[in-house]
Amino acid sequence: MLSKSTPLKIVKKEKQADKTYLFRLEGSGKKKIKFDYKIGQFYQVSVPGIGEAPISVCSFSEDFLEFNIRGVGDVTDKLLELEVGDNIWIRGPYGTSYPLDKLKGNNIMIIGGGTGIAPLRGALKYLEMHRADFERVHIFFGCRSPEEVLFKKDMHHWDRIFDLNLTVDKAPANYKGKVGLVTKIVEESGLDNRNKVVLICGPPIMMKFVIKTLESMGFHYDQIFLSHERRMKCGVGMCGHCMISGIYVCKDGPVFRYDKILGMHE
Amino acid sequence: MGKVLEKKRLKEFLSSVSKGAELIAPVKSDTLRFEIIKDFDDICLEGRPLFPVKKFFSPARHDIFKLNLADKNKAFEEVKNKIKPRVIFGGRLCDFNGLLRLDKLFLAKEFQDEYYKEAREKTLLIGINCVPAPSKYCFCESMNLDKYYDLFFHDLGDKYYIEAGSPKGESLILKLEDYDFSIPAIKCKKHLEKKDLSGFYDSPAWKDGSKKCLNCGKCTAHCTTCLCFDVIDEVDADLKKGKRFKEWDSCQFTNFTQVAGGFVFRKDYVAKFKHRIYHKLQYFRERFGMDMCTGCGRCIESCPRLIDFTETVNKLK
Ligand SMILES: Cc1cc2nc3c(=O)[nH]c(=O)nc-3n(C[C@H](O)[C@H](O)[C@H](O)COP(=O)(O)OP(=O)(O)OC[C@H]3O[C@@H](n4cnc5c(N)ncnc54)[C@H](O)[C@@H]3O)c2cc1C
Ligand code: FES
Repeated sequence: MLSKSTPLKIVKKEKQADKTYLFRLEGSGKKKIKFDYKIGQFYQVSVPGIGEAPISVCSFSEDFLEFNIRGVGDVTDKLLELEVGDNIWIRGPYGTSYPLDKLKGNNIMIIGGGTGIAPLRGALKYLEMHRADFERVHIFFGCRSPEEVLFKKDMHHWDRIFDLNLTVDKAPANYKGKVGLVTKIVEESGLDNRNKVVLICGPPIMMKFVIKTLESMGFHYDQIFLSHERRMKCGVGMCGHCMISGIYVCKDGPVFRYDKILGMHE
Repeated sequence: MGKVLEKKRLKEFLSSVSKGAELIAPVKSDTLRFEIIKDFDDICLEGRPLFPVKKFFSPARHDIFKLNLADKNKAFEEVKNKIKPRVIFGGRLCDFNGLLRLDKLFLAKEFQDEYYKEAREKTLLIGINCVPAPSKYCFCESMNLDKYYDLFFHDLGDKYYIEAGSPKGESLILKLEDYDFSIPAIKCKKHLEKKDLSGFYDSPAWKDGSKKCLNCGKCTAHCTTCLCFDVIDEVDADLKKGKRFKEWDSCQFTNFTQVAGGFVFRKDYVAKFKHRIYHKLQYFRERFGMDMCTGCGRCIESCPRLIDFTETVNKLK
């Protein structure tokens, strides 16, 4: 039922924020693994003896896999204790992805909140590598505070090659960046919906308000792709945990085009 | 045309078809339940067992991996299933139709549950007709059940009329005497009105129907087709070994949809009640073209507050 997990070796571990680390993983044996995951998909990540947690792909490469993990409980806290050289056990990848290869020729808007920025980082890597295929790329990221801003190194890079808009919910008086909710910077951008596709990932409440904002800016639901988070146990459409209406978030999602899931009941 | 078997030859027949296999049939203990038969005289065909046969296809708790915590490179070891061939005797149409529903989940194209698959392949299904309906909670007449079985018995007083539903079943009754009979359909007192539920999500009837609910999960545990599960790790006292096992779970428990930060997607009784019924009567149908309910009435009979979802659904207008 649940396929057997395989070990990957941690080759890099980088602190991103309080209780949040970025892990880079490669094959643990001598043979190189060629990774075949898509942006938006997730893996079931195990700590043997503790349990499993779904974690999104945060990278885009055949040679390695990156996870950005925030410690919020049993499994994720234990994962954060692992160091370079240790094994992480995974099965997957599972679920649907952001259909980036079908979106070529569009302007892309990337809107992320908190740890929801992680899967979008993979998308940005993809966009960078296929830069000529896309029009403008606008990024809108919101984090709780300046210390909670993830991928600071990447942010500088994205700021140079894309249109990066970053905001934090709260900051000390001397903070130079923008302060306020992510919906605010999206609204302020004044962008219209022409030739655009929006990719969103973040907490449910943030996504709800971002969609409202986009709607008021003239965007249609079929221009919006978002990633849902639910409790998951199997990841393969059997255990029932992730079900919303008749939809399995693990198998039919986590990435959905918004018009396809309108009117769903918890 | 079917065959006939005198009741006094039942033991002989069952021992021959279950040779080398476990025989599973209803047994009366605290309540009527399916059990592995040690003594033929324990078999009780009166009444519909309160527990369905699902535990023989996906046990309430079942190990999937052994964990070797000491060996960093071989942490997971698959647990070999030890499923013996078995014969289920005395299952009802609701039971066997339940398996057709579960097949959709556990034998899906992309992902299959090996235990379930093996158990299905190794089990011969011998059913018995329900005339008269064995429980006042039964409403299978409303559920369009299929004639799904290897063999099907109908009680004719001193003998059973037997019909085959598969080549395998047919081969087992070749030697019995031919008999001309047509099995009567099951008649139930209780009915479920079939309706498209999509327009009724906000009906106040759901609240009325669920207000007595205790969230105990008995309805899903007794349900013929509910098999949602949890996956849990357990470590031995020496911290060297452990296991990862699968355990039945219930959408009626609050932590079923709880995520990081303590947020629960379906918190109140109404939302959970609606999810259970919509899953059964709408979502499953949209996906697989059949209801995920076989009208066994076990969820009503097992409920400590006798919550009857058929009353709620029948009230929706
Ligand atoms: C598709 C998907 C992608 C995700 N991607 C990432 C990611 O890239 N990085 C990251 O840090 N986190 C990610 N998460 C969230 C992560 O899976 C949960 O934080 C993790 O499962 C919590 O498990 P735990 O054992 O650490 O916590 P627990 O000790 O189990 O519980 C802590 C809290 O988390 C809740 N919880 C338990 N299991 C889950 C679950 N499967 N999903 C959500 N909440 C749960 C509990 O109810 C409790 O409130 C993702 C979740 C999903 C569904
Ligand atoms: S996680 Fe088990 S069904 Fe989706």
